[in-house]
Amino acid sequence: MMFRALSADWLKIRGKGIWFLAALGPVGLAAMQGLNFGLRYDYLMKSYAADPWGGLLENVLFFVPIALFLGITLVCSLMANVEHQLSSWKQLLALPISRTAVFSAKFVQAFLILCVSCLLLSISTAVLGIILGMGADQMPYVDLLRIGFVQLFAALPMLAFQLWMSLTLKNQGIAVGIGITASVVSMFALQFPDWIPLKWPLLAYMGPGEARVIGAGLLLGAVIACAGLIHFNRKDVD
Amino acid sequence: MTELVIQTKGLYKIYKKRAAVVDLNLEIARGDIYGFLGPNGAGKTTTIRMLLGLIQPTRGAIHLFGKDLKSEKMDILRRTGSLVEYPSYYGHLTAVENLEAIRRITGGPKSRISEVLEIVSLTKEAKRPVKGYSLGMKQRLGIAAALLNNPELLILDEPTNGLDPSGIHEIRELIKNMPRQYGITVLVSSHLLGEVEQMADKVGIIREGRMVFQDTIDNLVSTASSGFRLSVSEPEAALGLALDLGCEGVLRNQMLELESMQDAKIALLVKRLVENQHAVYRVEEQRRSLEDIFMQIVGEGSRV
Repeated sequence: MMFRALSADWLKIRGKGIWFLAALGPVGLAAMQGLNFGLRYDYLMKSYAADPWGGLLENVLFFVPIALFLGITLVCSLMANVEHQLSSWKQLLALPISRTAVFSAKFVQAFLILCVSCLLLSISTAVLGIILGMGADQMPYVDLLRIGFVQLFAALPMLAFQLWMSLTLKNQGIAVGIGITASVVSMFALQFPDWIPLKWPLLAYMGPGEARVIGAGLLLGAVIACAGLIHFNRKDVD
Repeated sequence: MTELVIQTKGLYKIYKKRAAVVDLNLEIARGDIYGFLGPNGAGKTTTIRMLLGLIQPTRGAIHLFGKDLKSEKMDILRRTGSLVEYPSYYGHLTAVENLEAIRRITGGPKSRISEVLEIVSLTKEAKRPVKGYSLGMKQRLGIAAALLNNPELLILDEPTNGLDPSGIHEIRELIKNMPRQYGITVLVSSHLLGEVEQMADKVGIIREGRMVFQDTIDNLVSTASSGFRLSVSEPEAALGLALDLGCEGVLRNQMLELESMQDAKIALLVKRLVENQHAVYRVEEQRRSLEDIFMQIVGEGSRV
């Protein structure tokens, strides 16, 4: 059932600019670092002489949470808007498909789109490193993958929350407003206590307690998604 | 007894302070075209949303195909097609893609898409993005979507809303054919009696959430006659004759105004008038228009 809804959802987001957005984020981040390293190439390469790849990843790292939170906000809102725009909920939910399947499909779709973004981040960072003349033989494959995906797992509570709001509130201004505020606040996340979820993406990559943070992200994400699902199931559709 | 496709018992929907639907008992038999009438805001759409499980009733039971909506919702929705208020569609997709998005959920063969487009005569326009469609075309696409899953029951909420006369005519012909050609039961709502009159077998009239009339359209029409007017050469003498025959009536503007009566009686009266050398110029039946009756029912909330 869920896969049927998902298959229909892929069709619906065609031409809505969601894929463009999903690619723009990671490629943009890499391009920004390209500029950074391009402008002060000699200085940066000298200061990271011991571990140039590590230096590059460190520079990318601090922009990933805000990009991720913004991406989550916009992807959820754009996806939900496909249904809100012409009140398609009443048609969709009068079809022989459970609301659980509809909600789960949207969650899986958002997650998969963000996975593509994370993968693109790894690839474009790797390409940038090679362009900057960092040795391909020293490429830190694991860290390149971790920099996107580990943070995505830690950001799952945010994904569940944004999806819930986007799907159930017709006024996308509220969901987007909250999402953007959270994204901006997350830039100061390093100064927050560890229990605040906005800090989790950074913690999940840098530690301490990487595995525990990812576990917490999965758990809290699941709890919020369940709450959203229950609400979505009971909601009257106008 | 005919099988009831839709049956509601004591259905209520109460919003915070306002009762949208009150003690509603709908009964729709298989193969009927049921006209669900009422002024704007009477509770038609609320009722239809409850029938489709989009909103929860505050109280009462809904049975479709003899099954409880709460416990067998999926099975019921599989056999039902619907168009609720203005059509829902994805504007950036073409008609075919819109229907494909639904087909991926309901299953069924791809060939069905071109079949339903043929039924609503949209085949030529099928490859254009829907946002460029006229309202009539969007409405027809909505009906195509409702037909996609070969439903046994079609629920159409104001399908002709906002259409021009030719669009209304087209949709009406389409709906009329449903029971005949495909054996589909149809529930169609509207705020215009004139529109429903031409296609429905049975009507339910709802006002402020309450059902105020539920019967066949023929019975509604039969309440429309309100008497006869006769124009004759010598009205006063003629009235005396009519009163002798047991008719009730008065003289007004040199015309006889008589209460409604059986065909045999009016025939007898005319015969007597002719036998008594009256010249009969005109015999008119006075009918209230259905719209008048509708307004009266809706206005008073009483059974005619």
